[in-house]
Amino acid sequence: MSKGDQGNINEEKAPASAWLMGIAAWLVPGLGHLLLKKWWRALILGGAVWLCFGLGFGMGGYLYKYDGSEPGIPGLLQIPPMIGDLGTGILYIVCWVLNIGFSHEAEQAALPTFEYGWTFLIVAGLLNYLSMLDAFDIAAGRKS
Amino acid sequence: MRHFLVMTAFAALAAVVFGAVAKETNRERFIYGLKVFAEFMVIGLVLAWILYFVPF
Repeated sequence: MSKGDQGNINEEKAPASAWLMGIAAWLVPGLGHLLLKKWWRALILGGAVWLCFGLGFGMGGYLYKYDGSEPGIPGLLQIPPMIGDLGTGILYIVCWVLNIGFSHEAEQAALPTFEYGWTFLIVAGLLNYLSMLDAFDIAAGRKS
Repeated sequence: MRHFLVMTAFAALAAVVFGAVAKETNRERFIYGLKVFAEFMVIGLVLAWILYFVPF
């Protein structure tokens, strides 16, 4: 990039409300768009995340968390999927507070949909990150 | 059949979100969502076909 191009970049600072909308969208899937009065988008995006999360649990999935109990690389490998799961915001926080869905019994692991389950839970979080960025961009006036 | 249904559900959910956050008009979003759904399904089936012949 030339020096001239750098001068043309419009670096507008996002307003505080955009950050609040982003946080709201992360905390409760769909809430960010609801607050922005984007009803259909809230229903579609929030609904997809909640449904993905529900299906994940329904298929026998479990949530990841890093508690430092496992030493070395296996312990560190819990962090990336945990970041994915964390994307579901309040859903993850409630499960964490109530200690629901963080462990799995042998019967649960034997389910044919077990692997799909935790994948759906992670994807629910990742989709909500996308939804969060969308709410942020709308609130910042970068898209309609 | 169960695996196919789960893959379809996954593709549909991802396509809905991808479609909703991308593009400008509703028509473009709908077409993009359909495209993403089709891509997930086709790539999933092709990979399943290839992996079927992998002996491990």
